[in-house]
Amino acid sequence: MALLNLKDVSVAYGDNVVLKDFNLNIKKGDLVSLLGPSGCGKTTTLRLIGGFIQANKGKFIFNDKDYTKVPVHKREFGFVFQSYALFPHLSVFDNVAFGLKLRKTPKGEIKKRVMEMLDIVGLADYSKRYPKELSGGQRQRVALARALVIKPDLLLLDEPLSNLDAKLRVKMRVGIRKIQKELNITTVYVTHDQEECFSISDKVAVMNEGVIEHLDTPQNIYDNPKTEFVANFVGFENFIDLSLQSKNEDISTYNSKNGRVFKVKSTNINSNKETIKGAIRPEEIKIVNKGGDNKDENTLDGIVGISTFLGKEYQYMVDTEVGKLLVNGNTNKRYKEGEKVKLYLPKEKMVLV
Amino acid sequence: MKNKANYLLLLPGLILLGLFLFVPLFSTIFQTIRGKEGLTLVKYFDFFKDSYYISIYLRTLKLALITTLIAVMLGFPTAYYISRTNKKVRGLYIMLAVFPLLTSSVVRSFSWMVILGRNGIVNTILLNLNIINEPLKLLYNEFAIVVGLVYLFLPLMIMSLVGVMENIDNDLMEAAESLGASRLKAFIKVIFPLSVPGLIVGSVLVFTGSLTAYTTPQLLGGSNAKVLSTLVYQNAMSLFDWDTASVLATIMILTTLIVTTIINKLSGKLSGKR
Repeated sequence: MALLNLKDVSVAYGDNVVLKDFNLNIKKGDLVSLLGPSGCGKTTTLRLIGGFIQANKGKFIFNDKDYTKVPVHKREFGFVFQSYALFPHLSVFDNVAFGLKLRKTPKGEIKKRVMEMLDIVGLADYSKRYPKELSGGQRQRVALARALVIKPDLLLLDEPLSNLDAKLRVKMRVGIRKIQKELNITTVYVTHDQEECFSISDKVAVMNEGVIEHLDTPQNIYDNPKTEFVANFVGFENFIDLSLQSKNEDISTYNSKNGRVFKVKSTNINSNKETIKGAIRPEEIKIVNKGGDNKDENTLDGIVGISTFLGKEYQYMVDTEVGKLLVNGNTNKRYKEGEKVKLYLPKEKMVLV
Repeated sequence: MKNKANYLLLLPGLILLGLFLFVPLFSTIFQTIRGKEGLTLVKYFDFFKDSYYISIYLRTLKLALITTLIAVMLGFPTAYYISRTNKKVRGLYIMLAVFPLLTSSVVRSFSWMVILGRNGIVNTILLNLNIINEPLKLLYNEFAIVVGLVYLFLPLMIMSLVGVMENIDNDLMEAAESLGASRLKAFIKVIFPLSVPGLIVGSVLVFTGSLTAYTTPQLLGGSNAKVLSTLVYQNAMSLFDWDTASVLATIMILTTLIVTTIINKLSGKLSGKR
């Protein structure tokens, strides 16, 4: 039984429909990320769960109770804001103690719990400082401590790391995951950063235009995205139009428009449409020597265009019979512009959407 | 060399202030402590011995305080509302709030006379509704002065508060709510302490304004409710008693300074250690 359950929720601002018949279930103890481009409704979903906005339609069930109309301050959810929203007139200690004081917790216990929490986030020596005297990463940790010290039933994080620099982001996300696991607290995490959310989530919901396109483990989304949008969002840069020839349990056969034969693992087929798109990542396409083997299956001929250096690999824009494809090649050899190449698209790496 | 030349830029302003503000001001103050044999405070002792003067002094203080308190109570919610609206509407609201300042204080006082007078709008309505049997005396008393002063100085309070409140992040209110504070609690614990600087500026402006205002008490208070400024005028222009007028003026200045200092001290306590 799910701990959190959004049932057919709709949210609209005037004519602008943000969420439509939205459904989401979250298990206790899981960290679920809402991933998507800006404007996809992920922050709206989080704010709806937090109680800052009301649904026009639908229900929000939490812990078997109807939370749809429960006001924010009665929900017992911890919320970490993108801007951190620390109280500038209070010290670090008082910021963290804010929620406990409202609960009329005895003074001694407040002190104990606040210091414990500051210890967990590594800020025990900063309790007397004011927010403006802290760095971005420290403020972020105060915000996290403030949300966690009330022992919330649910932790909500709204792009908590987007105002930090790249190195600190990596460090902080590991920290957040560690604390989340230690306290075993169910968490909803909103982000637009794919790497960030894949690295720390139990489950990821990729959102687009107010609906969840794909909800699954990071690994499954990365390897086998269910829709074209998800594939595109997680780095499948190449899409080839294919039409079905024969379907088998193990391997299925498709034809490209110009008659090339493509074999694909049947478990990678995510749509029953007759004409379908074959998606593949640039790094999974192999450049093979022209005419090296006579098996024509899963191959395309092309001419190398612009190449760029990515550090680990070169990336080529290859003009093929079915359009331009992005292909990565190792740094042993840099193909020149205008060179003819043969591309091999491994059947287990192609995903049909 | 260049730096010294920069000071020259201050010179016109300094000369203007020196000649036309400091010299008259200090000569006024000096006059009040000059006796037949050297310096003396006897004129001040005389003032504080006179129960008539004392009653006017206390009334002035009282009216200024009441005006400030009412301005705070009316201004705070208004300013909070204005500060939460979006930028476009906010400009319009602020313009509306400031509108009373754009007309002459004489005109404004006359409008209040029309409203509060014996046959004014308020009395006419109350009489027609049979709530009262004879017209209330709403004009030429302390009530009328306070009404006029609040109307006059409320914009200053609203503007000082909006200036501070619009810089308070909206997330702070939501953060407080998510931590278990009701709207009201969140307002008291977060918005209020952060608004204190604006509250102080607004209070000082309203208080000093009310304490020294002349037109409004003169027109709406009449001779029944005299205040310091009208007393100064009466002494100087009607009785030609410039000595007493100077003493009154000096007391007014000192009172303003003292109260301003007290309000500033209080602000430290209201907004916490910062």
